[in-house]
Amino acid sequence: MRRTILIALVIAATVVTALVAAPLFKTPAAPTTFSEAASMMTRTAVSVSLLFVWIIVAIVVTLMSGREVRYSSIEVRTSPLHCFALGLVAVTSFVLTAILFSYLIPYLVGLPLLIALAVFAVLTKVYGTIAVFHAIGTIVAGTRSRDVLLRRRWLRGDLAMVIIGVLLLGAIRLIPMVGTIAWGIASVFGVGSALATKFGRREPWFLVLRTAT
Amino acid sequence: MNDACQRYAEDPEKNAAHLRECETCRSLYAGVETRPVNVGTLPLAAWEGARYRSWPLVLGGALAVLAIALALCAAAGISPIAALAVGFRSDSARAWIALIDQKLRPLGPLVFATLFIIVNTILVLLLRRAPRGIDA
Repeated sequence: MRRTILIALVIAATVVTALVAAPLFKTPAAPTTFSEAASMMTRTAVSVSLLFVWIIVAIVVTLMSGREVRYSSIEVRTSPLHCFALGLVAVTSFVLTAILFSYLIPYLVGLPLLIALAVFAVLTKVYGTIAVFHAIGTIVAGTRSRDVLLRRRWLRGDLAMVIIGVLLLGAIRLIPMVGTIAWGIASVFGVGSALATKFGRREPWFLVLRTAT
Repeated sequence: MNDACQRYAEDPEKNAAHLRECETCRSLYAGVETRPVNVGTLPLAAWEGARYRSWPLVLGGALAVLAIALALCAAAGISPIAALAVGFRSDSARAWIALIDQKLRPLGPLVFATLFIIVNTILVLLLRRAPRGIDA
């Protein structure tokens, strides 16, 4: 019952998000003029340059907190539906909270709140997306047996899994339309996994009040 | 229970002789069935081999992407710094927020407040669930 409600909630939220976001997408068309082809080349150059930045950030974050990234990655693989639902709701909450804070800008308090929200949202997205890179890398190139793991020279360890994930998702991102959607879905999963595991620390977000007996 | 009993409890294999001397421990551990564990047959844990750093793969991947990026930037006639600046400046999040704000504005503050409370209540409810992860 609970699972059915969760699936229905995810589908409904996805449809609403897609309907709201639809006007932002443009119909993909093959370049017909030289300037369109040049523009497409520039867009690809920008995407690949950003992918290089993603690789650097992913390496630094994985070296700094590999265990946390691994825990979040495990969460994506064991509870994907929960991560996706949480990610969608969290992104919606970020947007609504940003709109609310933007109304408070004339009262001075709005701007610092908006900056704090933006920093938190960016950190959540970056960390979560790296966890998704790890999850994709592990699904594609991870080992199931100890023998295979010991035989491998390069394709093992958190760092390798993250790099495999970045390269795969980065390659998919270059596909027009599909790439944008795939990257967006990965970001939603990432935000969900980052929040579900409290950035890999696996601590509760809220304290439970227990009365003394 | 004395120190020898404690030592036996901590490491039964090293202190196996204690079982012959102590009647209490003999009766206590008589019913315990011990079997050697074959580590090779156990399922692979997520942390096994996780700390291994595969630098050739990392550097190879990063340098390959850097080379492709530089080649594409050269072909497009822009500098890599300019490409990054364009990438960081194209803020789709701001466009999303502006669009949703534009769509919600005609509905009035009451609908916005209701939506805000509903969404954040669902968020809190979803955040209350403990992560499964390694326990699954």
